[in-house]
Amino acid sequence: MELFLQQLANGLVIGSTYSVVAIGFALAFTVLRVINFAHPDIFMVGMFAGLAATAQWPAFGLLVAMVAGAAGAGVVGFVLERTVIAPLRGRDVLMTLIGTLGVAIVLQNGMALIVGPDPVAYPALLPRRFIDIGPVALTVRQVANFAICLLLLGLVSLYVRGTSYGRATRAIAERPDVAAAFGVNVARICQITILLASMMAGVAAVSVGMLYGSASAFVGLLYGLKAFICMLVAGNRYFEGVMVVGLAIGIIEALVTGYLSSSLRDAAAFFVLIGVLYFRPNGLFGSYNA
Amino acid sequence: MNFAAFEPVVIFTLLNVVMALGLYITALSGQLSMATAAIAGVGGYTSAVLTVKLGWPFLPAVVAAALAGALVGTLLALITLKMRDFILKLTTLAFGEALAVLAFNFDYIGGANSFTGIGLKTTIWTALLATAIALYVAWRFDASRLGLASRAVRDDPGAASAMGISIAFMRAITFAVGGALVAMGGAIQGHYMLVISPHDLGFFVSLNFIIFLLFGGLQTLWGPVFGAVLLTALPEMLRFTNEYRLILYGLIIVLVVLLRPDGLLTRTPTGRAIRILGYTLVPARPVASRASELSARPLPAYLLRRQAAE
Amino acid sequence: MSELLRVTDLAVSYGSVPAVDGVSLTIEPGELRVILGANGAGKTTIIKTLLGLLRPRAGQIRLDGQTDLLRLRPHEIHRLGIAWVPEGRQLWNTLTVVDNLRLGGFAEPDKALVDRRIAAMFERFPRLRERQDQIAGSLSGGEQQMVAIARALISAPRLLLMDEPSLGLAPKVVRDVFGLVREINKMGIAILMVEQNARQALRVANWAYLLETGQIVESGQADEIGRKESVQAVFLGGHA
Repeated sequence: MELFLQQLANGLVIGSTYSVVAIGFALAFTVLRVINFAHPDIFMVGMFAGLAATAQWPAFGLLVAMVAGAAGAGVVGFVLERTVIAPLRGRDVLMTLIGTLGVAIVLQNGMALIVGPDPVAYPALLPRRFIDIGPVALTVRQVANFAICLLLLGLVSLYVRGTSYGRATRAIAERPDVAAAFGVNVARICQITILLASMMAGVAAVSVGMLYGSASAFVGLLYGLKAFICMLVAGNRYFEGVMVVGLAIGIIEALVTGYLSSSLRDAAAFFVLIGVLYFRPNGLFGSYNA
Repeated sequence: MNFAAFEPVVIFTLLNVVMALGLYITALSGQLSMATAAIAGVGGYTSAVLTVKLGWPFLPAVVAAALAGALVGTLLALITLKMRDFILKLTTLAFGEALAVLAFNFDYIGGANSFTGIGLKTTIWTALLATAIALYVAWRFDASRLGLASRAVRDDPGAASAMGISIAFMRAITFAVGGALVAMGGAIQGHYMLVISPHDLGFFVSLNFIIFLLFGGLQTLWGPVFGAVLLTALPEMLRFTNEYRLILYGLIIVLVVLLRPDGLLTRTPTGRAIRILGYTLVPARPVASRASELSARPLPAYLLRRQAAE
Repeated sequence: MSELLRVTDLAVSYGSVPAVDGVSLTIEPGELRVILGANGAGKTTIIKTLLGLLRPRAGQIRLDGQTDLLRLRPHEIHRLGIAWVPEGRQLWNTLTVVDNLRLGGFAEPDKALVDRRIAAMFERFPRLRERQDQIAGSLSGGEQQMVAIARALISAPRLLLMDEPSLGLAPKVVRDVFGLVREINKMGIAILMVEQNARQALRVANWAYLLETGQIVESGQADEIGRKESVQAVFLGGHA
């Protein structure tokens, strides 16, 4: 029982990160109708931006790092949208996938050139202490990571459901033509959407860097595929669905690691994907007919 | 000029051409499979197990590998039968990854430690022969009624179905033939690299093949050939730039996608002229004569849907 | 010129397939004009081109005699006072009724004004007030049509483009819809309506165009068009 709860907690921590990255993917996919392969690498850029900021201004710690992460990732994401995604709008989704893949390769290898291909130590923005929450032992860092990600997810949900622009974003996701015909500047909202998704990823990246104490130019690969799977399993109809699935997959992975073997951990997500898609090809919560 | 130094590049390029052509055939029925590397891996592992563990000679092992590829391809086609476009691509992706994970955990074939100890059976002549076979198969398939029916399914499945073409059959055939070619390539590559690792079955390698196709263009079989040659040779040629190599590779991909989203090799809408960047490589043949020839023959029975209650 | 909208020689193609060719029409403020035509005649194509959702091959569209609509993007065209009631309603089905209405007022910076207009809509359509927090996709066809029309009215447009408002609705609901159309027109809003239901449409309109395979073959006062034999044969079942 204790193992179960411990793994549940671990799973929630890792799952919350998957959720944040997956939401970024999902926003790009449902609103802009593109698969932004470079999103995980925008995440990675955010991680290093936080690293650089902490090196410059060590006094302010986590906060400065997160702001820098958001800024760095946001800039890259915004430029990507203007230069690669927007010009390819309307074309086969595979083209944008390839284009953003090219950018991903440039980002990964560019960063590897700057900091080297091996993982780099991340500043200790929070102490390593353990906290006991009942039968479960978590580090301060894990709890912080979970809290940060949950906050980000909450903000996204608030934006999408409660603001005028958020409503417009959902309108574009469902019927872009009708949205445009009712005064929504689709291009502008797409830019804003990518900007928000990137900034979110940047903040989460700093949190993850702090959690594991290391950053790597190739960290995007790990989160990218998992987040992508979350998006597919959830379907694109409800953004909250992606959040839930991210947490669920994190938990499933943690349980598999705890009860079966850690080498099967990465497989778990794929088997979930095939299983879900076979019975519900539009994802667990359905998709728009697009 | 030390030709021997070029041998690895040439062999890799040729084998990539073979596998790209396999993907091209699969894509003829309208679905770009993202499991190519996995099927190549199936071919590689099959032939390796046969030659190393069971002592088979090379050629039969390759044939067996091709058959295995055809089987796996057909399986994939059947799994994805009811799926549309995007979900289909994703399921092929998941399928490929699942195969990779199985390879990771299957200790008989080496598991995470890869399958080693494969004998070097591949020479440049083997690669050339394989390429010739692949080109021949692709060309004949493309030009045959099967190819025509596949393209009909690709362009408008509803119309094709209404004309009696079985979508299930065409998908299965293109996945099977394509899978066979891809597995053959994988088998031959395995006997050159001497090692097969589960990483080779992964999604990124599959994506590479898709990039070959999209680069070269999907409209003619020379597109994938061109794409495979260019994108295999290019990183090699860029070796002199050392650490900037991959960055340049990424930039080139982005540029081509932005500037030439239809691929580098295109076919004009009417006739069969093949163009590159606006220059005509192969002039058009008049279409009229072929059309009358084709309409005179009835569709073969095996292409027709079963007349069961549907 | 006092006219609201003038379309000259519009030609629109889908790829190389022409859908609309040489279409010219005008509408004055406060008028109700109808474009009649069968399926595939090109009616929706014209509407979408007016909204900026499709680019024509040739032709001109001018608003108020001066603004060239072809230079503008859809959201800019909307802000000039043109609203759309799309074919098949096309509500945002995953959003609530009230959210759909709020989006209708997206372009209006004064949100309090939008809220007042929404309240006015609920006065006029009490059934919608009951269902305001319901997901739009769960409403009946007639109710969805009310939402679609209300959504278009929230922006207080000068010109309403209605695409087959009676499509797929029960006969009683159809009568209600046409009654609503007349009511809106009486408020001073110009309406350019595209319809297959010629009988009802000709009763409310003052001018009618007949569209056949992308070209306007008849144009005139609504009652005169209604009396023409060609129209009677095709649309009105052969007798007056």
